Amino acid sequence: MRALVQLTLANTREFVRDRAALFWTFAFPLLFVLIFGLVFSRDSATQYEIGLINDDQSPQASVLVDTLEAMDVFDLSRGGLADEIASLEDGDRRAVISIPSGWGASIDAGSPMSVDIHYDETRQSTQQVVVPVILQAFESVDRTLTRSQPVVRPAFQTLQSERLSTIDFIVPGIVAFSVMNAGVFGAVNIVSLRERRVLRRLQATPVSRLTLVSADLILRMILVLAQAAILIVVARLVFDIRLNSDAGSLAALAGVVVLGGLAFLAIGFFLGSFTKTEQGFFPVAQVVTFPMMFISGVFFPIEFMPDWLRPVINVLPLTHLAEATRQLMIGGAATIPMGVAVAAMAAYLVVFVALAVRLFRWE
Amino acid sequence: MSVIEVQDLRKAYDDVKAVDGVSFSVEVGEVFGMLGPNGAGKTTTVEILEGLRPRDSGSVGVLGLDPGRDAGDLKRKIGVQLQQVSLYPRLRVAEVIELFASFYGRAGVADHLLTLLGLEERRRAFVKDLSGGQQQRLSVALAMVNDPPVIFLDEPTTGMDPQARRSLWETIEQFKAEGRTVLLTTHYMEEAERLCDRVAVMDHGRIIAMDTPEDLVRAHFAQDAIEFSQRNGLTETEFASLPAVVSASIQGDRVSMFSDDVPASMAALLQLGQERGDPIENLRLRRATLEDVFLKLTGRTLRD
Repeated sequence: MRALVQLTLANTREFVRDRAALFWTFAFPLLFVLIFGLVFSRDSATQYEIGLINDDQSPQASVLVDTLEAMDVFDLSRGGLADEIASLEDGDRRAVISIPSGWGASIDAGSPMSVDIHYDETRQSTQQVVVPVILQAFESVDRTLTRSQPVVRPAFQTLQSERLSTIDFIVPGIVAFSVMNAGVFGAVNIVSLRERRVLRRLQATPVSRLTLVSADLILRMILVLAQAAILIVVARLVFDIRLNSDAGSLAALAGVVVLGGLAFLAIGFFLGSFTKTEQGFFPVAQVVTFPMMFISGVFFPIEFMPDWLRPVINVLPLTHLAEATRQLMIGGAATIPMGVAVAAMAAYLVVFVALAVRLFRWE
Repeated sequence: MSVIEVQDLRKAYDDVKAVDGVSFSVEVGEVFGMLGPNGAGKTTTVEILEGLRPRDSGSVGVLGLDPGRDAGDLKRKIGVQLQQVSLYPRLRVAEVIELFASFYGRAGVADHLLTLLGLEERRRAFVKDLSGGQQQRLSVALAMVNDPPVIFLDEPTTGMDPQARRSLWETIEQFKAEGRTVLLTTHYMEEAERLCDRVAVMDHGRIIAMDTPEDLVRAHFAQDAIEFSQRNGLTETEFASLPAVVSASIQGDRVSMFSDDVPASMAALLQLGQERGDPIENLRLRRATLEDVFLKLTGRTLRD
């Protein structure tokens, strides 16, 4: 136990004192998210596109419309309700405000009808920014109409849009891709220890192979989890990505990240048993990881891939990790069922651990 | 009582017989040296004793344990220093020592060992910032973390400057004074002569001579050596035919000539130099060394 703690500590110190390792593990995937986010996100605009449907011709309705139009942060779009809701689902509107027919008359009659505000509850910034601004507008209309009691009664109509924006799709892919890299390239530690004959030296001590590997696994798993957490939190804060943030989904996501990380680390150990040097390991690991990054549905859906490639894509480990990560983060229709994806990763883990154990060399 | 017993040990890699029928034993409190050039089979022999390599045949016992069968028990009891280990570069010296101590369920041994190996100034230094000699000393310190009764040191002073080498020799002498047993490989005959109670001279996987350093030299060279430089291109045979000369060997431009009658041989030598027009230079008289023994037995120098 003492040996496990000390070895884990040693691996951790080696890692955190290595600036290059820190960069590739944390900053590099983050750069990916930021670049893709800036390219694809529509949320970077300071204007919010709001759909406005006015079915009432009353003066009160005009005041409300004028007030909303006067607000610079809103870019109003006046269409039919169905069209505006469809745009909302596509992510092209942040909210849709609908003034019902007879609203003005209902105010005069003393029992105001409610004004519907439709928005996508999975988009955090809408809840946090857009809705409060709309409510502010409503209050100012209340004052304009100089009524003692509020007349603009909002009714929130939430929806979960089925359609995803590009960044919503890409972030889970980048999480999966980072887990793959952290796993496969994480195996370089063992290759390097062997090359520097430290493994040989450790073999001359009573420390067991299990302790040695466990210490490595503990650090690697902490790293993949930290990496995924940082990516998701930053993407959520900066680009307001879709995320199933209930505890169950997050726990399942952590499980999938660890399972994927272990499977890719096992693949890395396997590759590492064929290379004598750290320098020799990187090209081999690149050859394995690089193609998967493009065809495993990380940056674009695997449906875009040619049919003849699909059988290959369907067995690649990154395909399963990306699918599982995406389903857990944003839900939606599954290309590969969750159970199949998890089983595939578990199978990769078992097979490559067996191979890596068999091929393991101290020197 | 023997700490190490080796009988007819053999180990081959493919067609190469790395260890080809080696037998020796090491007694408690002894510093035993294995002397020989690279590839002589020293390291393979030592790694078999440490339980790091399986043997093909022969019997081996270390502290009464068979390294092939009881490697786990054995590793707890012995101290090991290996060649060319490049330890965790971004760990501090004291951290590495505590790491290795933890493998034996120990803690808090860094201070004592750092003092013993003269590394106390470097305890907070990163391993990558140590000099070659300091790294070697650290690797010897790691062989001591479990306070072992027997220590295996594989070329411990390689890459050290003369001063660091002498200081490590003192440390090894201290181990011995504490009653520990040391098995040491080296290709520095000076190191073997100074430290070892007995040496085994190895070549091509075999022990070709084994005795105390003094007796080895005495058994092979009753005579003193006349050593000099020449530019005349004379051969070993020509030197050996000088009066009273028993044997001669040439290494580069240095000639060593062993004589039963030093004044007679030297006079003839000086005259020969005069006749050939290029006088003998850097002439000196010295005692025969293990290096001469090795050269005589194998026709090669230790560093070949």
